[in-house]
Amino acid sequence: MELAGVLAAKQKQILELWTERTLDSYTTPGFFKKSRDLFANPVGVQIRNTLARLFTLLREGAEPEALIQPLDRVVRIRAVQEFTASQAVVPFLELKWVVKGVLGEEALQAPLVAELNEFDCAVERMALMAFDLYCQCREQLYRNRLNELKSGRALFTDGGCPSRFLDAETAREADGK
Amino acid sequence: MAVVKVDKLAQSVAKGPSLMTGAYPNKSWMEVPVVFKPGNYAYPTKADKLEYLDSQQGVSFPNARDWSPEDDDWKLPENWKDIILQGLADRLDRFRSLKIFMDCCVRCGACADKCHFFLGTGDPKNMPVLRAELLRSVYRNDFTLAGKILGKLAGGREMTVGVLKEWFMYAYQCTECRRCSVFCPYGIDTAEITMMLRELLHLVGIGINWAMEPVANSNRTGNHMGLTPQAFKGNVDFLCDDVESLTGVRVNPTFNRKGAEVLFITPSADVFAEPGIFTCMGYLLLFEAIGLDYTWSTYASEGGNFGLFTSNEMMKKLNAKMYAEAKRLGVKWILGGECGHMWRVIHQYMDTMNGPTDFLEVPKSPITGTVFDNAKSTKMVHISEFTADLIKNGKIKFDKSRNAHVIPTFHDSCNPARAMGLLDEPRYILDHVVDTWYEMPENTIRERTFCCGSGTALNTDEIMELRMRSGLPRANAVQYVHEKHGVNTLGCVCAIDRATLTTLMDYWVPGVEVAGLSELVGNALVIEGEQRQELTEGLRTLV
Repeated sequence: MELAGVLAAKQKQILELWTERTLDSYTTPGFFKKSRDLFANPVGVQIRNTLARLFTLLREGAEPEALIQPLDRVVRIRAVQEFTASQAVVPFLELKWVVKGVLGEEALQAPLVAELNEFDCAVERMALMAFDLYCQCREQLYRNRLNELKSGRALFTDGGCPSRFLDAETAREADGK
Repeated sequence: MAVVKVDKLAQSVAKGPSLMTGAYPNKSWMEVPVVFKPGNYAYPTKADKLEYLDSQQGVSFPNARDWSPEDDDWKLPENWKDIILQGLADRLDRFRSLKIFMDCCVRCGACADKCHFFLGTGDPKNMPVLRAELLRSVYRNDFTLAGKILGKLAGGREMTVGVLKEWFMYAYQCTECRRCSVFCPYGIDTAEITMMLRELLHLVGIGINWAMEPVANSNRTGNHMGLTPQAFKGNVDFLCDDVESLTGVRVNPTFNRKGAEVLFITPSADVFAEPGIFTCMGYLLLFEAIGLDYTWSTYASEGGNFGLFTSNEMMKKLNAKMYAEAKRLGVKWILGGECGHMWRVIHQYMDTMNGPTDFLEVPKSPITGTVFDNAKSTKMVHISEFTADLIKNGKIKFDKSRNAHVIPTFHDSCNPARAMGLLDEPRYILDHVVDTWYEMPENTIRERTFCCGSGTALNTDEIMELRMRSGLPRANAVQYVHEKHGVNTLGCVCAIDRATLTTLMDYWVPGVEVAGLSELVGNALVIEGEQRQELTEGLRTLV
């Protein structure tokens, strides 16, 4: 597993570029990139930390199921922001290009090519899982809307008060005008 | 959601790193127009609601019509620009605070990253400084010498339809939570800037139905839901039956009873919808346990006041019923339930708007004798202050094991925390009704608490995505204590919180329920003669 070693060695540059590109999808990414306080900057820090975790899992060849929880963390955020479905999940796919960009010439050399193909497959699988999660998040939103409507919290009764059945003329008469 | 650019999509897949994700225009904020699409705006006020309100005394809501934010033509009155500029001139004249806020910002940026809307969206116009700049730029252009001469160079810009649309977009992407104000070295109250923006928009018939229908209902029947006196009483009676079957205690509250010592006012959601009704059961049990001489009013049947999110005249009018009912019923003082913005109206505006209340007495707890000097001007005491005082004086007994199913954290609701300084009483109560509870991280609580993201009448379902992203900073902190300590309950003291945090938790932190503090009090309260069933979920248990 030569690739694992190379990816570990270049992890810092890869994560930097991957995070940078992902956060660049926001209109004003400056603060999201700068602040490292999880509670002052939830979007930036959650994405930064989670991409790092995902990369480590991929590098170590973790089972796909292990990716679900961290993927969900990022997808859940992007599913309610003003992105299309493809924009929301494209960062995961981009990891392929990020890795090749960082490895440069090295990526084209024989020992790595085959392993990189496998890595690309794992990345693509991750992106597809992200898409499933995206759909789940959107469905959850629709369920939330329904739950609110059903709960009665959203109900403004349109009937009940006799005064609202008065037509304008009767109301004026009643007011003595 | 953004429109997919198929050509770019294809290009990015074919050629490598995506253009889709980073392809936002890098223009000056003034040159980026707003785009309304389903999910990013709340529905406009129904014309008949606005017509009704405009016909009412003391308020003015002209230019009712059917219109859609998605249309190019908003059917504005012909002289809309004069109306807006004259409206701004009037307000600059009447409200000294507005004039100061327009002039004194030095754009230090301390507020910029403190807004939950900005933190959830990354949209620069959600930075409080820039949101205020939407109004300030027009102010500079038309009301300052530098702006009149230098225009854009002095940060001024002409009032156009595009600017008006921008106002509508961002005045309704602010929940007036005032977190940004905590960090402003000049103390600029950005909430009041949003209030002014909304007032100005109402002059040309632009507002949202989720604010105005409750306002219309409140004006007519006294509460947001439009409940008649009979329906209001009926709902409380149902809750009394539930309380009896759960605890064996029969509570018999009175309505519109003249001569009661205390008038109790709470948000109507407490008597109507889950999970507020459990909070209401908590009130009913508490008052029974201490034998409080109190009455409900079926007219002052709403603590909430969406007038605050509408116009100062509307706020004043809706607020007036509290004192009017207190006077009519001849009570000594008023006890208020768990509500957020109700307390902002009471604490910051009520006395000036509808006081002085020489017909009421400085509130004194009939049980402990404590005089609430802090409520000397408004004559209204918060249920948490009242309960904490009962606990401190040993007047009520708790069995914490009845809350064994609950591991809470506490969400400081924006207005009680920042607008009236209610920080320690809820915590003191929690200490006494549950075994253990956990604080969220310190920059997300007390004065720095994060908003639920759905206040100021933004708790409507058509903007669900917007609510979820603006609520992310709050949910993120809850998620932290949920994962670290197994927290399963988010306690709060606000009706909008109870409704909207429930949805927020469903999306971000499944497994966390939302409960009013008085519900947890009711769960643990030991009452003489009670015959409680085994209530594994407290007052929520289905029996």
